[in-house]
Amino acid sequence: MNPIRKQRLYALIAILLGSLLATWLVVSALSENMNLFYSPTEMKEANIKQNVLIRAGGMVKPGSIIKSTDSLNVSFTVTDYQNELVINYQGILPDLFEENAGVVVRGNLGSDGNFNAIEVLAKHDENYMPPEVAKLIDNKK
Amino acid sequence: MIPELGHIILITHLILCLIGGTMPLLAEYTGRKIFQIPIKKLSVFLFLLISISFLSLVYSFLVDDFSVAYVAQNSNINLPDYYKLAATWGAHEGSLVLWILAMNVWIMGFLFLTHAKDRAFLASVFSISCQVMFAFSLFTLFTSNPFERILPIPPLNGADLNPSLQDIAFTVHPPLLYFGYSGLLIPFAIAVSAMLFSTETKEWAGYSRPWTLFSCSFLTLGIGLGSWWAYYELGWGGWWFWDPVENAAFVPWLLSVALFHSLITSQNRGIFGRWSILLSIFAFATSLLGTFLVRSGILTSVHAFALDPERGLFILGILAFFIIGSLTIYSIKDFEHGEAKAYALTSKEFGFLLNNLLLVVLAVSILFGTIFPLIYEAVTNGKQISVGAPYFEIILFPFAIGLGLLQGVALYLSWGKSTSFNFLPRLLIESASIFVLIILVLFILFDNLYLNSFATIFLASWIAVGTLQVSKKRNLGYWDFLRKRLSVTLAHLGMAILVLGVGVVSSYSLEKEIILAPDDSIEFGGQIVKFESIENSLGPNYFSKKAVISFDDGKELSNLITEKRTYSPSGQLTTEAGIEAEFFKDLYISMGDNLKDDIWSFKIQIKPFIRWIWLGAIMISLGSFLAGMNQIRRSI
Repeated sequence: MNPIRKQRLYALIAILLGSLLATWLVVSALSENMNLFYSPTEMKEANIKQNVLIRAGGMVKPGSIIKSTDSLNVSFTVTDYQNELVINYQGILPDLFEENAGVVVRGNLGSDGNFNAIEVLAKHDENYMPPEVAKLIDNKK
Repeated sequence: MIPELGHIILITHLILCLIGGTMPLLAEYTGRKIFQIPIKKLSVFLFLLISISFLSLVYSFLVDDFSVAYVAQNSNINLPDYYKLAATWGAHEGSLVLWILAMNVWIMGFLFLTHAKDRAFLASVFSISCQVMFAFSLFTLFTSNPFERILPIPPLNGADLNPSLQDIAFTVHPPLLYFGYSGLLIPFAIAVSAMLFSTETKEWAGYSRPWTLFSCSFLTLGIGLGSWWAYYELGWGGWWFWDPVENAAFVPWLLSVALFHSLITSQNRGIFGRWSILLSIFAFATSLLGTFLVRSGILTSVHAFALDPERGLFILGILAFFIIGSLTIYSIKDFEHGEAKAYALTSKEFGFLLNNLLLVVLAVSILFGTIFPLIYEAVTNGKQISVGAPYFEIILFPFAIGLGLLQGVALYLSWGKSTSFNFLPRLLIESASIFVLIILVLFILFDNLYLNSFATIFLASWIAVGTLQVSKKRNLGYWDFLRKRLSVTLAHLGMAILVLGVGVVSSYSLEKEIILAPDDSIEFGGQIVKFESIENSLGPNYFSKKAVISFDDGKELSNLITEKRTYSPSGQLTTEAGIEAEFFKDLYISMGDNLKDDIWSFKIQIKPFIRWIWLGAIMISLGSFLAGMNQIRRSI
């Protein structure tokens, strides 16, 4: 084979291998790390398996935040103004977490129908709301 | 009056950009003198205009002119002057003006520092840059005018700058990033001009290299600062979140690194020309895409820009215009088939090819994960998902290993074919020894060994030894080393240090959430952590609870102060972490919630080697900047 052809062949093999590896990685990593988002209403309607990592969200219902005084346990209710969902969480809440503010949680559905959150994300400033929640509120109005 | 002046000058800038974007090209194509304009002078004039426009916005902030809507939304009488200045680029409208200013600086720099004989080529680079600036000015004036007034009754006070942005690092982070992003305009304009005027690959690659390096340098520093800011300001000790906006900066960074490596090959060997053109186009495209993702608010992100779909569409339009335009030129252009040069598997050329392959495929995979939620939503009719951080970590790991292994041997390779591989045994032995040494140091410092950090630690040693050995082998004099090898040594060594930092901090970190009452103490990571006291305190535009926490490791006692601030008038809470930064580790504490009385929750962390990540980033940034300067010096 002449050297130019040979070098093109090498380059081609490298590119093919690289892209194949990447595609395989992307597909497998994506299938494991894709978290679906549910509103409280969708949560009721969909048949969600326990112990599957999902995300949920809505507005924090006023008066629903119950904080323990001797542990980091906290529970609160999120609402999409149709249905509600109780969230349990153990840990420090973000600074922007408050009543009537949008919130997105990540975790799984417990056997009691409550949501066990491992992460709580609150909106970042006055004008900002997680897009999922903003859309939810828009739809329900 | 001043805001109106800024507004009118911005409009003038827009009109002149239109002239600059068309006339020089017309002059070259028609050959008629009547269209010729002095491009150097025009670039300076444009720079003066945009500077005055920007300064008039700064002025409006400094004198608290709340009749300007943008000032009213992002400033406040009680805001310290320094932050009033920074508030100018604290939100969307002002940062766009800064962005245009940055583009203007780059094009001016390019015209004055490039010594090209081909006048047509220079004119074309200037014209294309003007077209991009024109699009941005148009975008600013039509969708995000920073000079808009609230009339007839202006508010008496402003709404304040987002409290988490009231911070030293934040004030420099956006300008650096904007300079980095906008710097990619120059390689783009050069690539398109090279196609239009059939400039020789070796020639245009040489013009493009310094500017790609500068852009990369600014991006590195900007991203590094952003990471540092997030680490101490968001209060939870993370340094990288795989947030869409971070990815939006990381992808152009990867492509800019790929590009300047590819340009080295293009300039020296005259090959990879078309590939470098495509890379230049896509690097610029991803920097625009980043803007689009940030400003349209279509992705969940920690970055606070008000959502506005209209702006998103406008940016998408700009993106589509320039990308489709340049790709069309690419596809109809009849490229001359240069003389193909053979290179072996062991050549420097093939090394650069692998480097580019890995970097570009990695960039594409990260970009894919970032925009996948949008694709999914469109395909499934509104179903929403997010792609978690583990996705990106799984993707990054194998590519990082590949790139690291390559980087260790890359500098030994020769053009065409490497004949001798006798460097390998020494490289292996020396990096193995350094590896063992680091492991020992880690064991002495932290009393623990984590197997999952071994791969990255070895990689770091491998890169460091590969870099230093080659520099030593060249046997250059002191002065020659400074001129020729310092930049690459600094940048590659910086990468080794960054890799080491990432490896150690991701496996050796400790964290715990605890509840403490004053005078309580707890044992954590070999330290006695004690809640000493708590007090109220008052800042210029906030009040705060300040907690003093002591860390005692038996030898040394350090007091850390963490704060919970409530900003007026927004009422927003922020956490100020208490950090004791040491060379080998950070002690980190942040205040959580008030449970009752003076009992608070805290998050305590020990972050070994975290400083090394940013030290590495600074070295990479300095190295690439120096490399760019060297390129320019050589061309003069």
